[in-house]
Amino acid sequence: MKLWLFIAKRIVFAFIAIIGLTFIVFILLHTAGNNLLLSEYINPRLTGPAREQVIHELTLKFHLNDPIYVQYFYWLVAIFSGDLGYTNTPIYSGPVSGAIALFLPNTILLTIIASILIWIIGVPIGVRSAVKRDSAFDQSVRVVSFALYSMPIYLVAFLLILVFGVYLKILPFAFSLSPTLASNLSWYVNGVSYPTHIVIIDALIHGNLTAFANAILHAILPALTLALSTIAGIMRILRASMLEVLDQDYVRLARAKGVPEKVVINLHARRNALIPVLTLYGYTVASLLGGAVVIEDIFSYPGMGYWTTQALLNNDVGGIMASTLIFGIVFVIASLLLDIIYALIDPRIRY
Amino acid sequence: MEKRSSQLKLSLKIFFSNPTAVIGLIIFLAYVIDAIIVEVSPGLLGIQNPNQLQMNFINPVPQPPSPHHPLGTTYPGIDLLKGILAAIRIDLYYSVVIVIGGAIIGSVIGIIAGYRGGIIDDILMRITDIFFAIPYLVLALAIGFVLGRTTESMSIALIIVWWPLYARYARAQTLSIKRMPFIDAAKVSNVGSLKIMFKHVLPNVLPPIFVQISLDLGSIMVIFSVLSFIGLITNPNLPELGYLTSLGLQYIQTAPWTVIFPGLAITIFALAVNLMGDGLRDLLDPRRRSSI
Repeated sequence: MKLWLFIAKRIVFAFIAIIGLTFIVFILLHTAGNNLLLSEYINPRLTGPAREQVIHELTLKFHLNDPIYVQYFYWLVAIFSGDLGYTNTPIYSGPVSGAIALFLPNTILLTIIASILIWIIGVPIGVRSAVKRDSAFDQSVRVVSFALYSMPIYLVAFLLILVFGVYLKILPFAFSLSPTLASNLSWYVNGVSYPTHIVIIDALIHGNLTAFANAILHAILPALTLALSTIAGIMRILRASMLEVLDQDYVRLARAKGVPEKVVINLHARRNALIPVLTLYGYTVASLLGGAVVIEDIFSYPGMGYWTTQALLNNDVGGIMASTLIFGIVFVIASLLLDIIYALIDPRIRY
Repeated sequence: MEKRSSQLKLSLKIFFSNPTAVIGLIIFLAYVIDAIIVEVSPGLLGIQNPNQLQMNFINPVPQPPSPHHPLGTTYPGIDLLKGILAAIRIDLYYSVVIVIGGAIIGSVIGIIAGYRGGIIDDILMRITDIFFAIPYLVLALAIGFVLGRTTESMSIALIIVWWPLYARYARAQTLSIKRMPFIDAAKVSNVGSLKIMFKHVLPNVLPPIFVQISLDLGSIMVIFSVLSFIGLITNPNLPELGYLTSLGLQYIQTAPWTVIFPGLAITIFALAVNLMGDGLRDLLDPRRRSSI
């Protein structure tokens, strides 16, 4: 099959997956009943006929008396034109799109830092582990990654908090900025910073280097937790694929030619061993976004995850629906991009 | 018949020659036995009501481990050892239900897709892709919202996200079995395709599925506890490891054992079933077989 055909096919599948996802979310919300769906739009102080009137108007507006597929159609149109409804949680009240603009940037930032950490911690260790196969280093790496692999993400978070926050007292483990520092800043309100909503970048924009350093310190533990929770899988795959590559003829040939061992490993072997890691890496980055729900909750870090748990605890329809869609769509798009990158790198994969 | 028993002997020999797999099996059995004791006769372990954590508001602040409370207590005055022993039963039960549920749905869909092929395969696998694309937390949030935040609704959410994995395994396995001569023989002797699928294909798909089940038990218990931890299961006093961990949250700085011990109970289980699963996987690997 030609490359462009493969890519076209994957894009169509991704589109179908996203439509399927919206369908599932819609059905779920639909079964929750109209009253819950409308609750975000009705002023809770309204009673009697006035309330009935509002409900009637909203029912017409959202086509709630029409057959379910008609409702689904109008709902889809609204979603794709950016109207995701309203959300009402203690940390934010207003249109869902506004909440996403406020909270998504921090989550993306955490995800980026975590994926860099995965790369700079996981890859060298995985490679070394394979090169020094069965050495004490290899054995201990395998034990540690096996343990990490089996740990609930919150336990990883607590262990890091205990070591770095409580005993060593070198890293903060709550909020995105120290509260005493934040109380004097005009651009930091209720855990959200302005204008980009990414604390680290906003601190730079406002030229506040103290806040900048402080914000970085606050991001380390949540990002490290995110990274550690997935690093074990990466190291395992990399080690296995590195061992396989080191056994290949071209590596043997390079060695026989007298190519220095360093070059053999870094240039010949590692590059090829990274191909399978790349796929896993992409899925990892996508799942980091999901993992952020738990981690942001533990670290009270004001991102999508923090807002999602708030929405959940407050039975907030708009918030839950939006985060379901966004996390799902990000996942679908990430796996689409990966399949394409993978096909470009490794011609054998096209079928 | 003789061949089969010698095969079994060989399998057992391979499994028991792997010390880590045996340790995994022993730990797994310990958890199972604990669950059975709590189910049948909780009094043996000093547990009064296996469905409820015993609170003690006279002394609610977490106490460090002592002879009276070997693992210490967590808020509000819950003995952690008893709490964990009781919680294992619930976590184990739901993990098994979820994994088996997902495996059954996935295997059936995977076998049908793989055996039928063509358009049926395409449709079933695209549906599988859609479900595969949903992050578990996302679906758990949505289902928790609609069906309520209960153990049952979380189990449903996890089964829904877990079956696609099994569908893919079963399909891949079916595709290779489909080409084997005994399937052709069955076709020639006019056996119905439904019968072929479930009488001839299924038994051959099961062994790798079984290995996957044992590997997944740990991940599912971890995920189930995470869902409970973030508040997606609201059943106060339910002995559940994630909930038990969350009770100690406010005391993490002064009483770290309140979060570490329940967390470890899950980690050890997940480690054990992973080791056991790796051992089981070796049984299916012909290269390993011939080396012994």
